[in-house]
Amino acid sequence: MSAALPALHSGLAVERLGKIFPRRDASVIAVENVSFQVEPRQVCILLGPSGCGKSTVLRMIAGLEHPSSGHINLNGNPVTGPARERGMVFQGYTSFPWLTVRENVAYGLRINGDVNAMREGTVDYYLDRVGLSRFADAWPHQLSGGMRQRVALARALATSPQLLLMDEPFGALDAETRWQMQELLLSVIRKERMTVVMVTHDVEEALLLGDQIVFLSSHPGRVRTILHPPFKADDAICTREALRSHPDYAGMERDILAMMHEEGSRH
Amino acid sequence: MLQPVVPTPAPEPTVAPAVALVSERQSPAAASPVKRRWLEFKQPVSTRSKVLLGIAAWLLFLLGWHLAATSGGEANPLFPSPVSVSDALWNLFAERGFHSDVLASLQRILISFGLAVVVAVPLGILMGAFPAIEAFFSPLVSAFRYLPAPAFIPLLLMWLGTGDTQKIALLMLGVIWFLVTLICDTVKQTPVDFIETSRTLGGSRRSILWTVVVPSSLPGIVDTCRQMLAVSWTYLVIAEIVAATDGIGAMMMRARRFVHVDDIMAGILIIGALGLLCDLAFRGVYWLMFPYLRRR
Ligand SMILES: Nc1ncnc2c1ncn2[C@@H]1O[C@H](COP(=O)(O)OP(=O)(O)OP(=O)(O)O)[C@@H](O)[C@H]1O
Ligand SMILES: [Mg+2]
Repeated sequence: MSAALPALHSGLAVERLGKIFPRRDASVIAVENVSFQVEPRQVCILLGPSGCGKSTVLRMIAGLEHPSSGHINLNGNPVTGPARERGMVFQGYTSFPWLTVRENVAYGLRINGDVNAMREGTVDYYLDRVGLSRFADAWPHQLSGGMRQRVALARALATSPQLLLMDEPFGALDAETRWQMQELLLSVIRKERMTVVMVTHDVEEALLLGDQIVFLSSHPGRVRTILHPPFKADDAICTREALRSHPDYAGMERDILAMMHEEGSRH
Repeated sequence: MLQPVVPTPAPEPTVAPAVALVSERQSPAAASPVKRRWLEFKQPVSTRSKVLLGIAAWLLFLLGWHLAATSGGEANPLFPSPVSVSDALWNLFAERGFHSDVLASLQRILISFGLAVVVAVPLGILMGAFPAIEAFFSPLVSAFRYLPAPAFIPLLLMWLGTGDTQKIALLMLGVIWFLVTLICDTVKQTPVDFIETSRTLGGSRRSILWTVVVPSSLPGIVDTCRQMLAVSWTYLVIAEIVAATDGIGAMMMRARRFVHVDDIMAGILIIGALGLLCDLAFRGVYWLMFPYLRRR
């Protein structure tokens, strides 16, 4: 009985994950011995200096990259490749330019055989969730950067994934739009009760959205520490101002920035 | 706001307006109080000015031709003026059934290019999408690309005779290798993020090919076809100069025997006009097929 328990574990389990990129001269150890767990409906943030392997870890969870060692389990099933149960939002703009906003959001449903996707309410529901109902029939090139990322978010949500993965989804946006998007994302993941793994190097973003912050150190990428900020669980905090005026915020931000700085100057 | 650079000249053969225009533009009286320069980097030109400029270029060309052809005093049969060429053109269509030659040529172009596209588009897409397929075909295709198609004419004449089959085969050989390579390169430009997005949404290989790779590279493929069609017209003349009884090129070779230079020039004009029409047709198709690329 007890032997079967780990397999029944729900949520995401990453165990002793490693990734080596072979090169002709010397192989690069991008990630080494990374372990963490994400409970259902929790948001996990991967934070760390540039080049520490955040994207590599996320891409392995998505199934886009094969781990060199270790295991990934989602709700007890091993991850072996990409699948619709793990939706992903990329840093770059990935809305298909030949489809309208509505068709983009319906895309995931359609390729999975739901030919009536456009007529059912799902697409309109998620368009509404990300505030794009008015632009349903626009082409992506007519939208701003923030709106395009909202299309990508709605498209990833429309197939009802068990896990939402995001790799610096707001990295290309200006500061103001980024804040709007973070607040929007916070309200969406609270409402939809999503399990999320998100990569960022924006400390405020990490503290606002994360139930858990996995801090990676670089060369090779290892888990340096795991933090549990209290802010996302507190439903009263849903804006930047509320986050900044919380008594615990300034101290946590200072500690993380100090770690970032230390890691950044370590080579 | 924009005025045409060149006032459209009425075709007056006695003066030389090309020279007069230049001095007129340089005169200080033409300078307007607002400094607006005609040559400015990346400055867009209105559709009206674009059309007027294009027409002006043609008028200047025809005028120069006319002046050059009539300058010697008496008409030179080896260098006819635009007027006698247009006479010859009228005569060809009205009295000598030239339209059947034009139709024969058009038919060869359409059949050969259609066949080339039917083979090259699927092959190019598969090669661009799957490196293994590219590795198999690429050495073969690249080698054939460097062989000039006219080099095959003696072989084709022996294998296929002097009929239409031989000409269509030559036209296909002339474009198909380039079509395959260019389409393969276009398909390879498909952003990796698009493919990975589709994979994380549960896309199978087949659905990624049809819903990402093909739509993302289709504009480039149509554009490639438009450009290769122009090459097809080049090979048409070569095909029809060798052992043909009908077609625009055959008519031109017949005219050469009787030193009818005006007929030859009329043939050249018709080929140019048909080429332009094909190009416009392709642009129209492009505009209809890709509404999301309009007016970017
Ligand atoms: N496809 C690849 N081939 C070889 N090396 C790679 C590849 N992808 C990543 N790497 C290496 O792995 C390391 C981690 O890269 P990764 O992109 O995961 O970092 P990151 O934390 O996402 O950085 P950033 O914050 O700049 O996005 C880097 O040293 C990088 O050079
Ligand atoms: Mg990254």
